[in-house]
Amino acid sequence: MNTQNKSTALSAELNNFIYGVSRRNFQNAPDLTKIGISLLRNFPAARDAVLEYFAMVFHDAVNVSINQTDYESDPSANGSLESVSMIGPELCNMGESWAPFIAPWCINLIMDIATEKANLPNATLQNTDPVRVLLDITTQNLTLLNSDERAKCIDMMLGCRACSWAVGWVGRAEPALVAPRALALGAESARAVLAHLANHPPALYHVRAALVDLFQEAIKEDSKADKKREVIPYLLNLASKSDIVLKALTQDIEQTLTDEVMDRLCVVCAAHRHSGPWEGVGPSSLVALLLRSDVHCFLLLLKHAQRNLFCRQLLEYLLQKLEYECLFPDANIPLVMSAAEEINIIREKLLIGNQLEQYSIARILILVSYNLPSEFVSTISYLLQYSRNDTTLALLVRIVSGTISMHTPGDGTDINMDTERYQNFIKTGVEYALRDAMISDTQIKKYFIEDTVTKDAKTYLHHFCLNIVKLLRWERSGRVSALRTRWAARAVEASVGRLGAALRARAATLRAPTAAPPDMRTCHALAEVLDNIDMSGTKSPPPSVEVILKVVQATVQYFFRCINEKDIMSKIRGIQTASRLLRKLCLHSKLARAVALRDLLETAMFREDKVFGSRTVVANTISSPRDWHNEELLIYMNQKHGPITQLTQSHTSVFHAGIIGKGVRKRDSQDGEDAPPVLTLNNELLMGALMSCMDGNSGIVEGSTSISLLLVELVSPDVMYNGLPWPDEDFTKQVSIERELYMRCAVERCGVARAALRRAARARPALCLASALLRATAASLLHRARAHLDRHTQSPEMARELAALTELLSVMTLGQLLPHPLSHILELAPELTPSEIVQVLRDCIWNYTRDHVPSPALFTCDSSGLHWRDPSTCKPPATYTDTLRLIIQKRISKLGHMYPIMFLNLEKDS
Amino acid sequence: MSLSDLKHSLRKFEFPGCAKEALIKIEQLLVGRAAPTSKQLDIAMDIISEFVFCETDRRGNRRGLNPLQELQLIDIICDYLSACTNDTTKNTIFLSLFGGMESQRKLKVLSILASMAVSASSTPVLLAVGVWLQQMGCSSTQSLQLVENVIKDHFYLNTSNQSALKTLATTAPQFVSNFITAVTELYMHDLQRPKKMPPKNLLEIITSWVYSNPTLCMSAQLNPAALPSGSIPMAAVTPLAGLIHWCALAPLYIDEDTEMEELPIKKIKLEDEKPSIVKSLPSKSLTESELYIKLHLGVLHSLRAGRRTHGPPTAVNAQHLAALTPLVQAYAHQLLKHGLKLHTDAKLQDCLDRIGQAVQVALANGCVYGNISNLLAALDTLPENRLLRIIIKSHQQNI
Repeated sequence: MNTQNKSTALSAELNNFIYGVSRRNFQNAPDLTKIGISLLRNFPAARDAVLEYFAMVFHDAVNVSINQTDYESDPSANGSLESVSMIGPELCNMGESWAPFIAPWCINLIMDIATEKANLPNATLQNTDPVRVLLDITTQNLTLLNSDERAKCIDMMLGCRACSWAVGWVGRAEPALVAPRALALGAESARAVLAHLANHPPALYHVRAALVDLFQEAIKEDSKADKKREVIPYLLNLASKSDIVLKALTQDIEQTLTDEVMDRLCVVCAAHRHSGPWEGVGPSSLVALLLRSDVHCFLLLLKHAQRNLFCRQLLEYLLQKLEYECLFPDANIPLVMSAAEEINIIREKLLIGNQLEQYSIARILILVSYNLPSEFVSTISYLLQYSRNDTTLALLVRIVSGTISMHTPGDGTDINMDTERYQNFIKTGVEYALRDAMISDTQIKKYFIEDTVTKDAKTYLHHFCLNIVKLLRWERSGRVSALRTRWAARAVEASVGRLGAALRARAATLRAPTAAPPDMRTCHALAEVLDNIDMSGTKSPPPSVEVILKVVQATVQYFFRCINEKDIMSKIRGIQTASRLLRKLCLHSKLARAVALRDLLETAMFREDKVFGSRTVVANTISSPRDWHNEELLIYMNQKHGPITQLTQSHTSVFHAGIIGKGVRKRDSQDGEDAPPVLTLNNELLMGALMSCMDGNSGIVEGSTSISLLLVELVSPDVMYNGLPWPDEDFTKQVSIERELYMRCAVERCGVARAALRRAARARPALCLASALLRATAASLLHRARAHLDRHTQSPEMARELAALTELLSVMTLGQLLPHPLSHILELAPELTPSEIVQVLRDCIWNYTRDHVPSPALFTCDSSGLHWRDPSTCKPPATYTDTLRLIIQKRISKLGHMYPIMFLNLEKDS
Repeated sequence: MSLSDLKHSLRKFEFPGCAKEALIKIEQLLVGRAAPTSKQLDIAMDIISEFVFCETDRRGNRRGLNPLQELQLIDIICDYLSACTNDTTKNTIFLSLFGGMESQRKLKVLSILASMAVSASSTPVLLAVGVWLQQMGCSSTQSLQLVENVIKDHFYLNTSNQSALKTLATTAPQFVSNFITAVTELYMHDLQRPKKMPPKNLLEIITSWVYSNPTLCMSAQLNPAALPSGSIPMAAVTPLAGLIHWCALAPLYIDEDTEMEELPIKKIKLEDEKPSIVKSLPSKSLTESELYIKLHLGVLHSLRAGRRTHGPPTAVNAQHLAALTPLVQAYAHQLLKHGLKLHTDAKLQDCLDRIGQAVQVALANGCVYGNISNLLAALDTLPENRLLRIIIKSHQQNI
């Protein structure tokens, strides 16, 4: 019979179970466990007994696990462990109706085990398999309970001191229930429970909620004030013991401690502060808490320190304590670390806060910077970019010097490296600031249409420059002790190259005439920074050649930007700055001087020639060039006719109808024929810049020499190496007249070149090296004057020729290339007829210079270092002066007054 | 044999053994003579206390049994009862073991014993429990506690034994009858707020019991218990009155909405239980209200079977039936308060119909004892119902 079978089967199972269990031996535990499970299913009334047996099994399994060594961790090796692994899933899946029995059993069991093994470390116990299984069962069943029963179970567990870890573990399923209950315990137990609970991240929210609720409850205004007196000290005590509590309390502290709450809190404090439980709430314990809290608390404290005296005292205490703590090596203060994490907020506060905030934050930042060099660097960078007034800049000085002074130099061989470390940080900070400012500017440019930017808006780079300049100025004043070590200047000096590149980039982009004004101001600022830097190498290692060249090029670009500036004041100021810079750069580096001179001249002559009134070398006297094909050009067509001598510059051969390669001559082009004036503002400014490159010992002579050479090179590179001698006059006629004509034209149309020649002439013997140019002028004058008849004296062509002659003579005279009587040709020249001019030119000038090669060797250096040609020793022989003498005598009526000046003394001497 | 000698001989055994021996000694003490003297009774109680339940040790200190030992004890008692051939002896020993119900511990052991007997379908033990229920009174707190434990074990914790439970009606009808009587006290009682409804599987089993065995309800009365000599037999109360309550009130208390929600869950459960492709029986998928209809029919059948050929009617107490009226009236008041018409409310009319049917069948079969005219008067106060009106009228004329 079915029922009978079942009945006997049940009895047999029961008997087996009872008999097996009473032997108290765990060898057959798996079998008995199977029976037990089956009994639970079929004979629920036996649950107490079965669960009791299971509890025994668990106890045994825990013992086994604890004593087990790692290498024999096979769960099937031991009966109890195997049973546990069977019981686990079984009890987890018994269902809702079983939960009210299983959950309390589990909890009792956990409490028993925990109490029994209280001397073991929690971690060991928690990690044993049986305990894990048990915790799983508990958690599983707790979730099946209704809230009342659950709360009861948790209360049960909280009552047991030894098993706070279990509460923490199980509580993860129900943090909302556990957290507030845990807070009702003593501080020590609550700490343990919350610590375990907080291992589970989602539970943190509930821990925080419970804490905040407790706090809000405590300060609520009602009649039970006395009962709640201990809550706040309790919370603080708990926070002092538990990082989790502290973190939970201080998270979003601004929301917790709103102004109303603070007001209320003040009332509560005032009411209770003298009572017993509040004894522990002293400034020292609060400071200890604050040290471990995050930076938002600090900010809140700052905020309240404005109004509240206690907060102010607390703040001061806290800062002192922080500074003290940071002196110890490896100090790892959470507040400082938190400040480092939230450094952006802090820095912003530093900029916009009130005085108390600013100075307090600066103190914190010093500590942060001291601990974390990367933050030191970024703080410097940030302040350099965003500081807009003296106060914040002063804070930067304070932070930097504070950080450096906190450092204790190590006593060792690398003491230099040790001190250089901070200098390197500062350097990096400056570099970052520069880079970031530039990035910000390009970003802004990219995203904003230029018109929307207001006129006064300064670029970030501009601000950066202003800040740097201010720092350097403070430093130079020598009145700021924190800047004595010249850290700012050294850092800026180290990034001279970058500054130069920045200036160059900006000046270069501005070549277009539609330059936006704000950028010009940035250029001025950058130039000012460069101007403020010492590049002499006296106080710090001189910048590398590469850097110097970069800066020189940038400065030249900047110079020409300023030349183009409309506002006369800023133009002059900018040019002065540029000149100063050039002087500084060239003083110690010949290379720099060479580069500067070349750049200046080249740019002025070819790229910026319009500004200086120059016209293109081959003047715009012709119709605009067509787009000729190579085949159609005369120059190429000529080549097809067989090998003909290619004269130098023959591609520009001027015919009466036009110029080869340029097309037909324009009819009406008289107005453009006049040579541009030499004495213009821009020319003078350029000359000033050139001169400022030549400061120092014999600099002017050397510089002018370079200018001469450069002029030759720029005007006609192919005569560069032809040397100084003037050849026979016929030679020019036959071979080089094309080139001479071109060179004369080029020089004549370029005011800059002429001005430069004059300067060179003054610095004797520099002019010698430009003799090719003079020769070209002289040759072309000879050539053209011959072509003119005497009656054409009044023609514009002749007037031009005369002006050119006058200029040639004045330059040569100035350069002492024409000694005494010849030097007066200048005064005679306006009165001479073309034929007389030809004679004088040929006999007196050309022949003289041909025979007396204008070379520096003619000039002797006197004791004062001045090069000059002694007139007494270089009297020209009569062959060169006779023509002159005859002309004067012939026209004595007009030129007689010159005779005694030129020849009387000469006569007397001879 | 004196008490000390007895104890001395029993003390030779350790716990499980001593209980076994003690039972034999008690049997010797209490059974066989006309009636045990009070001294013998005292000795028996002393032995039970010390050696069976181990409530005290030899020095009179309190001790107890742990759950495992309890289980051992239950096993022993169960063995003993099963082996007992004489019903009287069995009941005597059983009642002396569990009769004095001051001890919660004993009641716990008894609960486990009863539950185990149900699990194992152990007829002798069940019959003994049935007698115990009857003697204690089915509505006594102890009985209710016992019944509650059995329900918890077999209808909540273990839900896989329904077929075995169904057979109990044939193997141990007296127990089942008393059990149902006690169960009717537990649910749908007017004192409970909110109304406690029987779980569906319990309702199913009871319906199945009553529906398939019309004589079941009367079985406790029809088979008087074999009691020890000198004891006073307690009158068995049939479950009929209680079941009439259930059936009549069911339409009022069942919330149809929740039942609808329940349905799919039940279906899933069925599928879980029977993964085979065989369709579940239609009776299995009855809703609760349908179950109550079926139960109502079963009750009516049982009432017809409850007719006694001789002697006064014993099946249903008129007063018990009359107790329905305040509940129904309370419901009617609720309706009125909400401004609903009484004669259009289907639930109320359903309830009144069922009361009418039950009363008519009971009266017609002469199953009602007590003050019938009071009952009729009480029914007369109920809201208007045609069937009820006719029944009241016809029976009032008869009296």
